[in-house]
This record gives sequence, structure tokens and C-alpha cells, in this order.
Amino acid sequence: MKALLMKDCFVLWKQLRLFIFVMLVITVFNGEFGNVFIVIWAAMLPYTSMAYDERSKWDQLAAMMPYSVRDIVLSKFLLGWLCAGAAALFALVCQLLQTVLGSPLAAFDPLSNLIGLCGSLCVLSITMPMMFRFGVERGRLTMFLLIFLVCGAAGALGTVVVDGEGPARLPSLLMVVLPIAAVILTAISIPLSQRFYRQKMG
Amino acid sequence: MNVIELSHIHKSFGSFAIQDLCLTVPRGTICGLVGENGAGKSTTIRLLCGALRPDSGTASVLGVDVSSPEFQAVKEDIGVVLDEAYFPEILNAVQVGKIMASTYHRWDSGVYEGYLRRFDLPEKKPFRDYSRGMRMKLAIAVALSHHPKLLVLDEATAGLDPIVRDEILDIFNEFTREEDHSILISSHILSDLEKLCDYIAFLHDGRLLFCEEKDRLLEKYGIFSDTTAQLECLLPEAIVAREPNGYGGVRALVRRELAPAGWQLERASVEDIILFLVKGAKNA
Repeated sequence: MKALLMKDCFVLWKQLRLFIFVMLVITVFNGEFGNVFIVIWAAMLPYTSMAYDERSKWDQLAAMMPYSVRDIVLSKFLLGWLCAGAAALFALVCQLLQTVLGSPLAAFDPLSNLIGLCGSLCVLSITMPMMFRFGVERGRLTMFLLIFLVCGAAGALGTVVVDGEGPARLPSLLMVVLPIAAVILTAISIPLSQRFYRQKMG
Repeated sequence: MNVIELSHIHKSFGSFAIQDLCLTVPRGTICGLVGENGAGKSTTIRLLCGALRPDSGTASVLGVDVSSPEFQAVKEDIGVVLDEAYFPEILNAVQVGKIMASTYHRWDSGVYEGYLRRFDLPEKKPFRDYSRGMRMKLAIAVALSHHPKLLVLDEATAGLDPIVRDEILDIFNEFTREEDHSILISSHILSDLEKLCDYIAFLHDGRLLFCEEKDRLLEKYGIFSDTTAQLECLLPEAIVAREPNGYGGVRALVRRELAPAGWQLERASVEDIILFLVKGAKNA
């Protein structure tokens, strides 16, 4: 698992520098919407690494190396969780700094970060089995559909928070439902992804 | 002890199927897997490395059933080189080394660095900028740097120039100096296999037509080249396949044991034998 994560980090490293810059711009200038959006976007980084894997036919080689299907699948989930967690932390720190510095764009709101994080785990859990089953090219279609839905939802959420009076106005149902949904979807998604991956590899 | 044992393997992909494949490779030997494109060589290799599950039949490598959970540990003893290197092209040789160090318990960084120097591979250059020869050398360096007991090579020398190929064949020969080291190699370059292998296994349309010791195979067949009338003197079962020799006569692969004593037969190469056997199978 460590080897697979290391490979993905090496593969993503060059892109990460640009990604961090874009994240910074989004989170500084887009308040709550930015906070939610970048976390969900970060959770999709494993798909970039999967695209590299597919292009180089890494999966065929990996199947002959001492990696189990469990390791291969879990490493992609773990990468997604790490990226989403790091993005949530990044957004939180940026917003905290803006608040401390008295920026008019400051939108320090840990709860919106939490919602973003849970939303990203849900998106990851829904899309990952499809990526393993159909490959990144075809799986991406589903992902784009989800991105549109998520962007719409994040925009709506941002409006609720910005127009309202802070976290107290956040729909309390969302605060309860999203973490539970993230746990349940992840628990279903991991074994399903393993099954799909085995099917794909024959 | 056999290092590879495939017993009555069936694997179907719709229009193509591996059928009743039985293959054994004794420990300490080099076995060449030959066959046309689509004959099932890569599928066989994937089956014996646990990358594909057979529909029926059993496969064991280094004494362990490929479908058992214990096979995961056996993969530590198998070095694999496929027809491409299959590492993400953005990586460089140093990064590949670090990943493999976390993959294999017996990874030997000293050996790996030694191969990088020996092959003159740039350490920091991204893999995508390597030539095909350099890519294959990197894959071979990786396969040899975790002290495997079995090397599985699928078209590992395809597309390489003769000098690089010769260098790589020397490395494979070095590898088999250890008596418990074995190689299964598939290749279209039959002259390489003739140089390297102890056994030749021939796959045709998903079926194993034979797996024989190379020397016995070369003793078994001879090439007849003369007039058609003279060839007709032979028993029909002595003639495996024939073709015009370009001078108005005929060239044929003949079973030596069925040819009359004193008949002059040329030495057949592995390439001759395989080509005639394919023609014979097609004409049958």
C-alpha cells in the first residue's frame, strides 16, 4: 500500500503545484463556495493518477506484482481521503489567516469545511466503483455529471451561508445526513470497487 | 521439482480460448514460449502470474497454487518483464527504485543501482523520454533487483536492436547460473530462443502443440530439400509440411526417425520447425 501511495504521489507531484495555486485562488476569493468546492475537487485527484495508470497499463504489471486487489483499491481511496483532508485543512488555514488579517473576503467557517469534506467522501464513494468498472475514460462521464450536481449544490449552499447569518443557518439536516451518508457510502463503495476491479482484470 | 505447472487450464474470452493447457517447466531451466500473435502466450503468462483466473484447471508456480492466498508471497520470487515497461511515464528511474523498495521485501538498492549504471540509464530523466531499449532495460533492472527465483518475460526483447538484445540475453544467461533460477520467456525472435532455451513450448490457437527439450526437438526433425519425386519416396507420415524451395523443387520438414537411413537431411532450426508446424497445422 505504501508503495502504491508513493507511486501516486510521484505521479501527481508536478500537477500538485499548479493545483495548490488554483486552490489558493479559489479559497481566498470564493468564500464558502470555494471551501466546499476545492475539497471535492481534491478528492477527485485519484482519477488523474488512475488515468496515468491506464495510459501506461500499470494495472497489468501491478497484477503480477505482490500487490493485492485490496491494496490497489484501498490505495486509491486513501489517496482521495488524504487529498480531501489536506484541501479541507488548507482552506481552513487560509480562511483563518484571512480572518486574522481582517480581510473583507474572509469566510472562516469550519462547518462548511466539514460539509465539503463529507460531500467529497460521498462523491468519491459514488464515482470510484465506476472508475474501477469502466475505466477512467467512461467513468469520467459519470464524474462530470456529479460535478455539475455538486457545483450546483455547493453554489446553493454558499448562497445560504453568505446570505444567512453564518453556520447557525446551515440546514441542520445536512450536517447530520452528510457524515452518515459518507460513512455508509464508503462502506459499500470499497467492497464494490474491489469486486469491479477483479472483474475488470479477469 | 517443477517451477511452473499448468494443468488442464481453460480460459475463454468469447472468440478466443486457451484450451486444456498443460505445461511444466522444470526448476533451473529456461523455457521458451513460442506461437503466432494471438496464440495465447501473454494470456498464459498472465494466468501463471495470477493476473487472470482460469475458468477451470489449476496453475502452480514455485510449488504454490496460483489461486491460493499464499501465492501473494510467492510473487516476491517472480521477476516480471512485459513487452513494455508499464511504469507511469512521468516517473524516473530513482522514483521507480523507491516504489519498488517499498514493494519487494528483498529489494536490493545496490543491485538496482548497479544495473542502472551497467545499462547507462539516466536516473533523473523521466521515463517517457527513454528510448524503447532503455525502457526495457529499466524493466529488466527492476525484475532482477529483488532476487527472484523465476523470471517471466513476455516479449521482453521485442523491438530491440541486435546489440541490446544480445546484451540482455547475456544477463538472462547469467541469471540462470544459479541452479534454482528459472526463466519462462515468450518471444517472436526464435533465433534468440534457440540460443537461450533448454525447452521450447509451442502454442497454436490457444492449444499447446508441444513442450520439448530443445536438443531433442532439433534431433527429431530435419530439413529435406530436393525434387518432389524424391520427397514422395518418403512415408507420408514422415513429412510434417512442405513448401516450394524456389528452384523448382521442394523443401520439407521431415521426421528423422521415419526417414530411411542414409538420407541426407539438413539441420533444422527452431524457426524452421515452428514455421513448418504452423503450416502443417493450417493445411491439416
